[in-house]
Amino acid sequence: MSRRAWGAAFGLLLAYLAAQWVFFAARGLRPGSFLVFGLERGDWGLVLGFLLSAGLLGVLLRGRLDGTDAWRLVFWTAAVLEMGAYTWGLGAELAGRVEPRPAFGAVFVPGGWRYVLAGYAAAVLALFVYSWAVIKVGNRLSGRRRPVGPLFGQALTHLFLWTLVVLVYYPVLQVVSASFDPRNNLFSFRRVHSAWLLVRAKVLPSFANVSWDNYAKLVNGVVIYPWQWALLALALALLLAALGLAAAARRRGGEALGVWRGRALFGFAAALFVLVVFLGPAQFTGIGTESKFLLWVRNTLLVSGSSGLLAIALTATAGYAFARFDFPGRYPTLLTFIFVQMFPGFLALVAIYYLLSWLDLLNTFTGLLLAYSGGIISFGSWVYKGYVESLGRSLEEAAYIDGATRWQAFTRIVLPLSAPMFVFIFLLQFVGTYSEFIMANLVLTGVDKWTVGLGLYSFTTGQFSTKWGLFAAASVLGSLPILLIFYGFQQYFVSGYTAGALKE
Amino acid sequence: MYRHPAGLRGFLTAIALLGGALVSSFLLGAAAFVALERVAVAVGRSGGLPGWWILITTTLFLLPLLFFLARTFPFLSDWYYLLPAIVFLLVFTVYPIILTVYLAFTDYSGARNGLPDRATETAVTAISGRRITLAADPRQSLGCNKTCLGEKVELVADGKRARFTVTAQQGRTLELDRAPGFEPRYAYRVNVFHYIGLRNFAYIFKNAARALWPVFVWNVVFASFTVAATALLGLFLGVLLNNKDLKLRNLYRTLLIISWALPGVITIQMWVALLNKQFGAINRLLGLLGVYPIPWLLDPLWAKVSVLLVNLWLGFPYMMTATLGALSTIPDELYEAAKVDGATSLDAFQFITLPLLRAAFVPILLASFAFNFNNFNVIYLLTGGGPATEGRLSTAQATDILISWAYKTAFRAEGQSAYGLGAAISLVIFVLTVGISLVNFRVSGALREEGRR
Repeated sequence: MSRRAWGAAFGLLLAYLAAQWVFFAARGLRPGSFLVFGLERGDWGLVLGFLLSAGLLGVLLRGRLDGTDAWRLVFWTAAVLEMGAYTWGLGAELAGRVEPRPAFGAVFVPGGWRYVLAGYAAAVLALFVYSWAVIKVGNRLSGRRRPVGPLFGQALTHLFLWTLVVLVYYPVLQVVSASFDPRNNLFSFRRVHSAWLLVRAKVLPSFANVSWDNYAKLVNGVVIYPWQWALLALALALLLAALGLAAAARRRGGEALGVWRGRALFGFAAALFVLVVFLGPAQFTGIGTESKFLLWVRNTLLVSGSSGLLAIALTATAGYAFARFDFPGRYPTLLTFIFVQMFPGFLALVAIYYLLSWLDLLNTFTGLLLAYSGGIISFGSWVYKGYVESLGRSLEEAAYIDGATRWQAFTRIVLPLSAPMFVFIFLLQFVGTYSEFIMANLVLTGVDKWTVGLGLYSFTTGQFSTKWGLFAAASVLGSLPILLIFYGFQQYFVSGYTAGALKE
Repeated sequence: MYRHPAGLRGFLTAIALLGGALVSSFLLGAAAFVALERVAVAVGRSGGLPGWWILITTTLFLLPLLFFLARTFPFLSDWYYLLPAIVFLLVFTVYPIILTVYLAFTDYSGARNGLPDRATETAVTAISGRRITLAADPRQSLGCNKTCLGEKVELVADGKRARFTVTAQQGRTLELDRAPGFEPRYAYRVNVFHYIGLRNFAYIFKNAARALWPVFVWNVVFASFTVAATALLGLFLGVLLNNKDLKLRNLYRTLLIISWALPGVITIQMWVALLNKQFGAINRLLGLLGVYPIPWLLDPLWAKVSVLLVNLWLGFPYMMTATLGALSTIPDELYEAAKVDGATSLDAFQFITLPLLRAAFVPILLASFAFNFNNFNVIYLLTGGGPATEGRLSTAQATDILISWAYKTAFRAEGQSAYGLGAAISLVIFVLTVGISLVNFRVSGALREEGRR
């Protein structure tokens, strides 16, 4: 790299720093703001570090690099140093905003991170010794010469992954344990007496007083009629039967079992549907909003389930027409569908609010359902079109030869084959609307109409600290349907999702 | 069978026929609705009919019309497969978008919502032709701004109601634009909203330093940092778990996917308690490490960090799964061939895995960016946009992004329910979001259809 190029690089860097300084100075950022902090300490260190490292690299690599490589090197060095300076400045700023005083009544271990670090170092050492020993003994016995590296690497991977699993599950564990804590209060000063430090620090739950109080409060005063109990029992029995049949089919195979499993699942869905539809607000006689929790679950299931069904109804014919028909205007319409999809429906929330108030559909499930309907149409039609195209035309052509009309070919041949795709579209819309908040918050205003998310939001915005246990119990129960669906349909749910994202 | 008119002519014919059918049935439906409402009011339902009846009357006209159209133009039946989707898109996506554009230029708000103001109820004492006399001075009782000239009033009698415009005022007597056909008992002033031109946008840009710019910058930082962090962690985990020699890899995958499998609307709210400064579980854990209690949701800067961390927790399983899915499509033969050619595993990663992953990942990253750009739930449920920051509009605080700012402006008390202003902000977001989506389509080539026109 020529001297002129180096000069230009330095010139550029200086100009960049000057521009940055002018920018921040003009914005009048107060001293101590992390950007200025980074500029004051970080950037002068950056200039020095850049000079040093660039000079060092220049000496080391003289004559070995062509122009582009050198430029890339300059760019990356500058970028990395800049990032480092800002991260440092930001960290210092963040640390400055923490009061150096332990929380009242909490277990505080000064310098505890040193022990953790030492523990990890010991674990790494132990794993190394273990892999070394295993490999050496193995080599001695089998006479091969395998390196220690791979096994040690695997052991480290396991250590890392288990750490991550613990971190990811820590919040979940805390919520689940809080749901069994009868005190129902986030602001707990009470000390736990235990020999274990982690239990004393309330990082691990103590199982001294586990109770179902919070769950009992959620179902307090709920009147379930006998026929509903019977229907519930029937639904559960059908679900169990379906699971059993699935297991049996996996072991032995067989078409008949699969058909019966489908029927059992359908019966389960139908029973659940009747239960959900006929569970009314009048059956919730408990005091306090939390006793309506099951009603909120029912509302959510009703809205999400029917919007899933509506999504299938709206996308099936459209996707089929896009896939099979060839009329003038098919492709422009498809493009329009996809273009419309770029506008997320909830952005027009003011207009939807206006429209629904004009239609007198505020605070009704129908209004929310209609508001949700637009979101899935484009994507659902697109995905279903792809699915129908993958089916192949031969069956339909055979039907046409036998004198079937288009509608018959669609309803008798394509629809029955499309069940997997319909399940995917249904689940997509179901899971999506189950977690939807902004539109539901806008439309559903009465306590009796709330969905799970809205009900929980009323806990967090009100006296959250005194409803923490209730909130935890409600979140455990409210998460179950989605959790079961997700893990139950995981395989093709996940594959469909990611494939959809690829095409979206 | 039937034949379509060819080419553009066929397309336009179909559009014209369908559009004509939709428009005419809507007009007929609206007329029927008005007639039915008259009947309902006459029968004694003082509120008239609920507005959604117009959907039913329109459908009742549309169905026979479509039937006869299909008789006359058989090729139109192909379009009927698309019609439900098209109608729903038109009514609940396209129309709201157009309405948003319209509302953005009005002062539609909680105080100007187009409804009669019940607080201005004034008794009508006398009526003669177009003149009505009120029981009190209309300037005070109707709450007109100086003069009632040009204001809209609603007159109500038992089971009857209608709206009129005031054309003249004389003491307690108002002259209306037409004679009411009934004996009104009460008069209300209607809170009409007006077309105000670009004033909403002028407000947004005049206060840009207090809301638009900081919110926009944070919105971009939030979306891009979320995408970068989730993608890096997801890629790392995906590559780790793709190793066929790793034991328990399926278990790890199933375990780590948990935060995606739980409904976000619940988990985000659970983080509010976990991030409590004095009693939260996170600070309890950090206390064991010798970290002083961190003001996660109380300090503006820490609140941003919390939002990013929570979103990382929520988002990495998706990226991990996407990585695993993309990696599983890379054929093993490539790696074997590379091995035969003497490449190390690092070489294979650098020259096979990464380039192939990049192709699959660009659209995922862009879609994720577009999603997180409008990720209302994380912001609103975790911090509510707060904590408060000096020198900002009350609706645009430390962690507010554009969509939460629009929502709070339109529907929260601190924004005085300024629906029109909220619509204007939404319009700004529309433009940005469509820009991102266009880039996405461009890059991913989603619109290309192989083997067709």
